[in-house]
Amino acid sequence: MSHKMDTNKLEKHYWIWPIAWYLFLGGLGGGILFAAGILDMVFHAGYILALGVLFAVACLGIGSMLLIFELGQPKVFLRVFLSATAIIKWGACLLILAMGFGFIYFLFWLPPEWNLFWYPWLWIRDLCAVLMALFGLCVVVYTGVLLSTMKAKPFWNTPVLPVLFTVSALSTATAALALLAGMWPSYEYILAMIGSDAMAQAMAGEVLHANKEVMMEILHIADKILVIAEIVVLLLYVLTTRASGNLTAKAVALEWISGKKALLFWVGMMLCGLTIPFLLYQLGGVGAEYVAPVLVLAAGLLLRFMIVYSDRRRSMPGEEQYYRRLPKGDERFLQGWKAPY
Amino acid sequence: MTRYAMVMDQRRCIGCQSCTVACRTWNELPMDIIYNPVVSEGVLGEFPEVHQTFTPLICMHCDNPPCTICCPCKASQQDEDGIVWVDETKCMGCKVCVNSCPYGARDVNHDEGFVRKCTFCKDRVREGEQPYCVATCHQKARIFGDLDDPESDVSKLVNRLVTERFFEELGTDPQVYYIPDLGGVK
Repeated sequence: MSHKMDTNKLEKHYWIWPIAWYLFLGGLGGGILFAAGILDMVFHAGYILALGVLFAVACLGIGSMLLIFELGQPKVFLRVFLSATAIIKWGACLLILAMGFGFIYFLFWLPPEWNLFWYPWLWIRDLCAVLMALFGLCVVVYTGVLLSTMKAKPFWNTPVLPVLFTVSALSTATAALALLAGMWPSYEYILAMIGSDAMAQAMAGEVLHANKEVMMEILHIADKILVIAEIVVLLLYVLTTRASGNLTAKAVALEWISGKKALLFWVGMMLCGLTIPFLLYQLGGVGAEYVAPVLVLAAGLLLRFMIVYSDRRRSMPGEEQYYRRLPKGDERFLQGWKAPY
Repeated sequence: MTRYAMVMDQRRCIGCQSCTVACRTWNELPMDIIYNPVVSEGVLGEFPEVHQTFTPLICMHCDNPPCTICCPCKASQQDEDGIVWVDETKCMGCKVCVNSCPYGARDVNHDEGFVRKCTFCKDRVREGEQPYCVATCHQKARIFGDLDDPESDVSKLVNRLVTERFFEELGTDPQVYYIPDLGGVK
């Protein structure tokens, strides 16, 4: 009963922070699985990215938990799989598949001294790399499609939104991979995996060391490209909705460009979240290694929050005025006289 | 076949909110939920030809409802007679249907958790009675009936008068028809 009543349906946000976090974590996790799967297939760099895959599975898991606890009636959440048409159903299936294949893939990077019986079945690992990349990408695209199919929300209902979410998810994923790359399994640990022969160790060490450097370089360049792409797509998104014939979409876009969200958009997103990380990547050093990826991740989260809270519905004629006139702050009075039966 | 529909005669509506109150009573709504607000626009026009428009809102019970296909739980559903309703025991409260409705016809109460919406009072209608808001309207501004029956009031009104529907361009095919307050015979 202590819950504050929110009678203004036009300004009420039905999806709030758990959804924003979920969209961020889903994009991040799915993006990491996609990027790690591709990089493993192309460069055989799985050992550098193994920790990233575990992190991605954790992100997807936490995101799913947020989704479930945000529900009004969490005890019936298993019904989510019943409908064939609902996008949320497909999202739930894709999340489970991506998490499952990511986790199986990670099982092959457990400590070699444990000698688990599945270590020799490398074809399973390679198959999982392909499948987790596929389903990871599907999760990434799904987070954008979920919002963009809503005809009732003019600012979301544009094909640019899934593109923006995909680019942003891949940029955050690349940033997270760059932060986690090579942290575990450690360099010495990889050497231990190779064998005890000193000569082989030295050679393999050189190759591996070079590999890690090369991989970081690849990740940084990829993130630079993705950040530039994100700037372009984000500007396209806001400017096309600004030019849209739908007055509601236009009003929300104006809020971003010059209204109450302008500071967050221009300074938070555009400057601190995208332009500065690009420059830091360009300059190299500690800034490129630690600061830029963290800023890119923060920008991804900020973007999800800004979009989730831009959920304005087109007003019916006179509706705005009606809700403005409803009483506010009378919750205790209105509920106090309820009969005690 | 039966296709229930409603006609709102804006020429007759005086904005008294009786239907809003009646609905709350019959459906025992929580305090923060309103199924059918009567919103107003105006004063419009130039003196001395001024007027005010009252628009009774309600779920449009669309023929192509965006709120049922997006429901993963099959809780939000449409019956053969066109009535769109939510089975509250099956609803997990993901609110995707609330976000997908262009008319804002759905809402969720924080304490209950499931999504609520107008059901055209299907418990009354299936027993041959009128929805409670229609039965209450002393202006006869709300008219309810079977659109497929050529003798019903709604089909006569929809076929003979100029009517409007909200946001038709979204392809939802809403089944609540408005007779504009300055409208007339075709």
